[in-house]
Amino acid sequence: MANYLAQFQAIKNTSDRLVVAVEDVSDLWPSVKEGLEKRLPLKKASLNNKTRNPVYVENLQAEFILTTDSRLRSRFPQEQYLFWFREPYATIVLVSCEDLDEFKTILKPRLKLIVQNEEREWFIVFVSKAHPNNDQATKNAKKVYARLEVDFNTRKRERCCKLDLNGVDASFWEDFDFKIVESIRNTLDRRAQFYEEEIRKMSEQRLMPVWNFCNFFILKESLAFMFEMAHLHEDSLREYDELELCYIETVSTPGKQRDFGGLEHGDDQAALLKPGFKPLSQIVQDDSFREFEFRQYLFARQVKLLFRLGRPLEVVMRGYSFIISFSKTLALHENTLPFCLREVWVISACLAIISSTSSTYDGLAAPDNEKEFYRLHGDLYSLCRIKFMRLAYLIGYGVEIEKSPVNSASLSMLPWPKPSIWPAVPEDASAKVLAKEKLILQANPRMKHFNIQRKQLPLEPSSLLREANRRRASLSVGNLSELIDYRQIDGSGIDGHQKFSPSTTNSMSRTYSGPNLESSLSLDRPMRISEVHVAAEHALENTVTDPDLLKSLSSLEEFEQKYMELTKGAADNYHHSWWKRHGVALDGEIAALCFKHGNYDLAAKSYEKVCALYAGEGWQDLLAEVLPNLAECQKILNDQAGYLSSCVRLLSLEDGLFLAKERQAFQLEVVRLAHSEMKHPVPLDVSSLITFSGNPGPPLQLCDGDPGTLPVTVWSGFPDDITLESLSLTLTNTLNTDEGVKTIKSSDAHILKPGRNVIKLDVPPQKPGSYVLGVLTGQIGNLRFRSHNFSKGGPQDNDDFMSYEKPTRPVLKVLKPRTLVDISAAVSSALLMNELQWLGLIVKPIDYSLKGSLLSIDTGPGLMIDESHTIDINEYAKTMEDKVHAHDSNTITENNTHPLEPKQLYIENGKIALPDWASDTSTTLWFPVHAIDDRMARAASADSPHRQNMVDGMRTIALKLEFGAFRNQIFERTIAVHFTDPFYVTTRVANKCNDGTLLLQATIHSQVKATLCLYDAWLDLQAGFVHVRKENGRPVSSFFPLVISPSSTAGILFSICIDNMAIAADQNEVVQAESILNVMYGISGDRSNGAHSPTSLKLGSSDKLFFKVAIALQRPILDPCIAVGFVPFSSNCLRVGQLINMKWRVERLKDLEASPSSSCKDEVLYEVDANPEIWMIAGRTMGHALLSNARGSRTEITVTCMPLVSGHVRPPQLGLPAMDDANISCNPPGPHLVCVLPPTLSSSYCIPA
Amino acid sequence: MIACVAVVGHQNNPLYLQSFTGADDALKLHHIVHCSLDVIDERVNNPKRSVITLNESYLGLLYPTESYKVYGYLSNTKVKFLVVTTDLDVKDTDIRSFFRRFHAAYVDAVSNPFHVPGKKIISRIFAARVSGIVKAFAPGTYG
Repeated sequence: MANYLAQFQAIKNTSDRLVVAVEDVSDLWPSVKEGLEKRLPLKKASLNNKTRNPVYVENLQAEFILTTDSRLRSRFPQEQYLFWFREPYATIVLVSCEDLDEFKTILKPRLKLIVQNEEREWFIVFVSKAHPNNDQATKNAKKVYARLEVDFNTRKRERCCKLDLNGVDASFWEDFDFKIVESIRNTLDRRAQFYEEEIRKMSEQRLMPVWNFCNFFILKESLAFMFEMAHLHEDSLREYDELELCYIETVSTPGKQRDFGGLEHGDDQAALLKPGFKPLSQIVQDDSFREFEFRQYLFARQVKLLFRLGRPLEVVMRGYSFIISFSKTLALHENTLPFCLREVWVISACLAIISSTSSTYDGLAAPDNEKEFYRLHGDLYSLCRIKFMRLAYLIGYGVEIEKSPVNSASLSMLPWPKPSIWPAVPEDASAKVLAKEKLILQANPRMKHFNIQRKQLPLEPSSLLREANRRRASLSVGNLSELIDYRQIDGSGIDGHQKFSPSTTNSMSRTYSGPNLESSLSLDRPMRISEVHVAAEHALENTVTDPDLLKSLSSLEEFEQKYMELTKGAADNYHHSWWKRHGVALDGEIAALCFKHGNYDLAAKSYEKVCALYAGEGWQDLLAEVLPNLAECQKILNDQAGYLSSCVRLLSLEDGLFLAKERQAFQLEVVRLAHSEMKHPVPLDVSSLITFSGNPGPPLQLCDGDPGTLPVTVWSGFPDDITLESLSLTLTNTLNTDEGVKTIKSSDAHILKPGRNVIKLDVPPQKPGSYVLGVLTGQIGNLRFRSHNFSKGGPQDNDDFMSYEKPTRPVLKVLKPRTLVDISAAVSSALLMNELQWLGLIVKPIDYSLKGSLLSIDTGPGLMIDESHTIDINEYAKTMEDKVHAHDSNTITENNTHPLEPKQLYIENGKIALPDWASDTSTTLWFPVHAIDDRMARAASADSPHRQNMVDGMRTIALKLEFGAFRNQIFERTIAVHFTDPFYVTTRVANKCNDGTLLLQATIHSQVKATLCLYDAWLDLQAGFVHVRKENGRPVSSFFPLVISPSSTAGILFSICIDNMAIAADQNEVVQAESILNVMYGISGDRSNGAHSPTSLKLGSSDKLFFKVAIALQRPILDPCIAVGFVPFSSNCLRVGQLINMKWRVERLKDLEASPSSSCKDEVLYEVDANPEIWMIAGRTMGHALLSNARGSRTEITVTCMPLVSGHVRPPQLGLPAMDDANISCNPPGPHLVCVLPPTLSSSYCIPA
Repeated sequence: MIACVAVVGHQNNPLYLQSFTGADDALKLHHIVHCSLDVIDERVNNPKRSVITLNESYLGLLYPTESYKVYGYLSNTKVKFLVVTTDLDVKDTDIRSFFRRFHAAYVDAVSNPFHVPGKKIISRIFAARVSGIVKAFAPGTYG
């Protein structure tokens, strides 16, 4: 059966659609052909798939072939059976007949013969040629057709349909289509069943020796092909999948040694998309196929079906896994295959899949699928790239490949090719060897920026040199010692071990470059690395048939171009997929190549992406590898901002990643740039490098308005000391965010040591609230930097990239404004007026130090400080204590707990500096003050005791205390101090004797909280009064001293009489208008209580004080000249608005001859005084009334007035300005009131209009 | 042979990475582990696509290449455990069992009150224990 393979292949190539046979019984084909073929392809066909489920197939291709056609006639029965899939799927019998008899006799037997073959699916198309107008013909045709139906239709199935050539019925075509599809479906079912049965039978023999895979394959593929023809691609694909599984099982059965294949020319190019790459008959081997070709063939078939099914994603998916698994298979047979065929094959396979699918993918699939698609493309590109790099490495371009983690990860774990014999150096290759040698020599391993020296990552799984030599035919395995010996003989004297470490391949190669290169070409000695490369290149040239690949490997430039293309392809596709990291990592490779070619701009962009990825996720090891490259790009591009930021990032990487020397180099760069002339000074974020925090412990507390010093811990990540030109921090008020941030500055330059530094910052007065640290800014040279990063009291932590929570712990609390100090008067009771008195002030700090405070005292009017005296200061509490002690016993009041405390202070320019010891305790300051009151004290009448006005004795003292650390706090207060005379005096005439002697009683009321002691008192009388018996005006001397307790009174009687003589005599002298009571007194009081003796001020001076009180003595009104009497109103009550006449009767009681002052003797001046708010006076208020000088003459003064308010009001008063009050006797004698009623209600206003 | 084991935090930050290749080439393993996070991300973000249901910690083979394999394991707290092995045929059960031990060691390490969550694991005991687990790992050792 395997012999039929070629034929099978040919049949497959020729038949690509279902065949419908046409049995043209009545020569009708030419006339119906056109109509029938118009129905193809079948628009819609309902077929059954392998599992007998209906499947709708659209545009099913088919072909009508006459049974007389050679294609159907020339087949042998066995052939037909074997390739049944190409046999007709339906047979249409075209019949036409108009005569019933003819039908019965001729046609019917013939038809019966035709349809007797049970295997066939057939139906009869009766073609009526009758013209519609020809009734007879139509009738006959109908009869014949009816007969036909009776004869050939069965109950189950109608097999006849009628086609009218003249006027086709639309329903016919539907019927026709249905019948064709029905036939095809039935045939398909039957054949599928047949094939399955056959396959099943064959599968049962699988483990028997007779098993022949080729036969199985033909059956299986026939079925698959049939399904494919019927557009049942899904089923077809399944058949191929099963076939593949079965094949792999067959291949993997141990026993027979089979040829693998892959040795022919062109096999290095994958035939994944070319099912017809090699005829199957060529790859058949015994009872099976060569694996190399056959598996590719199967995959190609699958891909074809997948494309038909519109599943490019699945193509890529299957493609990738096929390549991986096939690559493994290739690895198993590597020793028989050409050198590096595996790698070359993988490259071509990947590229083939990529190119076939990238054009077909429409991008309309679900986004998930799209991402998956791109990911797989990325994988394919990546795989291709790895293999390509491997080839390049073998031929010596390895020195130019970036030794990055990406490349190292891909290459260093990928085993070397394992040919049975490593290719040998071709003849006459010395020029090439030299060229390779040169390439290796010239390849200058790029020195990393900042002199970073790293061991380069390996790109090879083991030393290529050793591997190549080990696999050479002429050398035994593991001849390391030979190699070493050879080299020692060669005279290179470099330690062999070192040379063989993978990373030192380059240096090793240099040692080989001797001048006698020609002579070193010998088969028996180990190859040198350049020879290995040349040999590999030569072998590859034999392996590779793809001119593009050959070209790509031909020169370094071509290699790099291809390498770039593959890397970009992989990166771009990964970027479109979920696998962003893969994409970005490859971007780094692109950047490396860009860098190498001087395309620094692109390189920097790509490197930035890579750095951002690694930094974002904290992969510092990887970042440390890439970041110096970025920095170098930026430096070359003169991107100072970027370069600085990269340097800072380098510095802020973990300690172990760079050597101290390297870190110092980074810092040097930063400092160098900072102090260089920058065109545009750039701000720099050093958050990762310089971190800061408040000091541990409670926050600094400041009172409102106080400046302070805030210690801040700053962690420096610089490896060396770094000088900061300035440093400032922002403070954010946590309570009130409206205020924004406040900046506090440290004025002086700082040198930050590596690690922890404590820096003190001056805090100007802040508003109340609690403050947290905000941003640290500062300057290094011309460089402004800022840091947002808080350290938590420990060294700066590199993993902090994910903890952005700011510490809410406040570093500074500014308290709400409160009273920090209180100054009050120590004594509330009155002090002595006009005497030197101690004024006590209690200065009471309220939880606030008054250190260095200055008290300014500004006395108000009438008060002065006696600056010649010192000021006493003592502790307030002690004063109180002392007082208690003083009460208990008469112990010493001063104790010496503070021996050094100055108790005496001096006032300078009205200011007193408080002593330090008094800064935290309440103290009492005692000032000597002197209140001055020029007015003489006046005695009051006992009848109308008019006490001294309190305001008169009030003196103010304005105090201003400047305190706080910078005397920034100011406390101002004005204190009222009450001064008073020691006593006030009331007088009354105690008795009036008939002889004119008056007993004048002077009552002395003590006004102070101290005991007064009267030593003497005398009365200097005014003119008109004389002492009785012409005494000196003193009471009985034994009466003194008289002690008056606080708030008590004492009385002194003086007997005086009116001096009638004096009146005339005194006319021309300045008479004493008032009497003076002179009192000599002493006072014994405590200054902490109130008034006290001023004698304590002047030691040795007399403690007797002198006090004068003026007493106004009136001549008794016993001798009035004129009497004024208020005449009662005529009506009982006054009303508001009522005009009344107010009358006074004036009567002369005495003759006034003696009075010289009265110029107008017969008239008297009067004046009416009324409150204008109460009274409205009609007429004159002042005038002269006639009054004769004769005693008893009288007159009446009338004034019309009207009260304006109701109530008890004072009536207008009549005064006689020309007369002395003493000579007027009034009736009523004192002020009196009259009652004024409200106005009467006026009803007239209430009458409705 | 296990080339490398790694613990990666829930923000994809490396918490622990130990190479067992003996050579000074840990950086490439960093790269492999870091790139493998792509696969974990993809599986976690596309539960539909992933073969293994997410209620299981073991993520299975993440990353088959020709030369090495990466297996993953995801804890409930989204901490990822990864193993890079150069053994190309390893039984799933072995790897599962390995991850269980590895996870247990991690849990013990981070239970240390002096360990700051989210920070790199610097415990020497953990390192020693992981080395022990790696050394004990040989295909077929665990059942």
